[in-house]
Amino acid sequence: MAKRLLDRQIRLLEYLTSGAAIFGGNPATMPDRTLHGIDRRLLDLEARFSYAKRMEKIAAVYPKTIAMLGRNQTAIFEDFVAACPPSDLSRLANARQFYDFLLTRWQSKPPRPRYLREVAACELACAEVRVTAQEDGPGGLPGPSAVRRGDIRRRAGVVLLRCSYDIKAIFEERPGRGSPARRSTSLAVAMPPGTHDPCVFEVEPAVFDLLGALDEWTDPIGLGIAPELDDLIRELADHGLVEVRG
Amino acid sequence: MSRGIRSDAGASSPAIGIGYRAAIGDWTRDHLDRFDVLEITVDHCIYNGGSQRSAIFDLVDRIPLTAHGVALSIGTDVPLDLAYLDQVAAVVERLKAPAYSEHLAFTRAPGRDLANLLPLPKTAAVAESIIAKVRTVQSRVQVPFLLENITYVFEWPDSKMSDAEFLNLICRETGAGLLLDIENLFLNSRNHGFDPWEFLDALPAGLVQEVHMAGGVSVSEDFLERPMLADTHSHPIPAETLDLLERVLARHTPSAIILERDDRLDAVEEILDDVARIRTRVEKVQTEQSYGEASAGSPN
Repeated sequence: MAKRLLDRQIRLLEYLTSGAAIFGGNPATMPDRTLHGIDRRLLDLEARFSYAKRMEKIAAVYPKTIAMLGRNQTAIFEDFVAACPPSDLSRLANARQFYDFLLTRWQSKPPRPRYLREVAACELACAEVRVTAQEDGPGGLPGPSAVRRGDIRRRAGVVLLRCSYDIKAIFEERPGRGSPARRSTSLAVAMPPGTHDPCVFEVEPAVFDLLGALDEWTDPIGLGIAPELDDLIRELADHGLVEVRG
Repeated sequence: MSRGIRSDAGASSPAIGIGYRAAIGDWTRDHLDRFDVLEITVDHCIYNGGSQRSAIFDLVDRIPLTAHGVALSIGTDVPLDLAYLDQVAAVVERLKAPAYSEHLAFTRAPGRDLANLLPLPKTAAVAESIIAKVRTVQSRVQVPFLLENITYVFEWPDSKMSDAEFLNLICRETGAGLLLDIENLFLNSRNHGFDPWEFLDALPAGLVQEVHMAGGVSVSEDFLERPMLADTHSHPIPAETLDLLERVLARHTPSAIILERDDRLDAVEEILDDVARIRTRVEKVQTEQSYGEASAGSPN
């Protein structure tokens, strides 16, 4: 295959992912000359099909965020297309790209409502947990020989979020809820054992810190003597937040 | 369970099933008795990970599985990603799949991944490059490799071959089989004005080793003389596609017929109905073939 084909493929994808092809507008932005002979209107149709598929993936991760973007959606999506061409086929990669784009945008133009940044972060966390949640049950995998029965660690894939607004209610789909109150909350997003959907849990700040520290297998005795510790570990394990070496 | 997939109905009867989708994974597991086979998208095992991957691997030995890919981009004019191919090989092995299929297309170029299948110029030079890559795939994935025809919106102006000629050349030179997407064939024939029956007649007997069926929507644009049919995998199979299936079954013995559905997945009754419509057509062809054989064998 001549090298020229790769050049044409690159130019084709540049055009198909451009705002000019997807949203129309500037007729001066014609496809590269290496694409001459292909009907531009068909290219634009292909671009819209591909864009729709990409945005389907993103909308599946951010239904609440996108709804809250309201009438700014169109301008935001156009800017997103211009700033972030698709570089990976996976839903999660596209979702991360959109989140990074929003964060950058919100540095200069804070989001409305203010808590939108946290809603987007929580939706991304749910998507990440869905993908990265560990396959095996608690203690199912053999650990290093130094790991002892009863040791604990944070379950793989759990995402911890500190929020300034009480956004958890938004994820509970409670009817009649108003805007979330400004309140410091500590959230843990996890996939409880035996379930297929991520859950958003609010945890005490001390538990949040504990979960954050449990990167490696840890002997719970080293965490201090607390009569409630066994119950707490059991509860965290039941919610898919920690695993206990069996 | 053997690696060969066939329906319980008989050695020459294709297994009929659907493409596994996580969104209806629970429903699918509850209705395994309605299908002979499930098609697994290997990329769901490679990229999705976690509980979705284990849910797929849990199906091994419960129902025959066949392997399909969407991320190889065999047509991109760069060397194949061998690390990805090795991941595919491992998934195929774990699925106990009898074949691995991919699209004759490209989806990405350095710096961009459209995640949408795009056509290649149908020229001898491009075919030569694809032939070499198919051989690479065959050397790393230890089950038969099948190429799938895609649907396309536009054509490259320098294409010199028909769809059938391009596929035939690559398959003949490599020994690869054809995963014939009959809906894609039907859509292309309508959108680009060629005869799908001629396409089928141009394929050597026995080349089609698996089949995809689906239903889509039509898209109207001011500049189009007639609505364009789009491969959305969202609606019941059109009758014309089922008619083409009958023609395919007259000259080929595919091991599996897979219904693809990616949208409106909650319309599960439509899925079951489409599977039943495929079975009816398969049985019709088999009955006609049996009658023909009996007639040929009769003394008169």
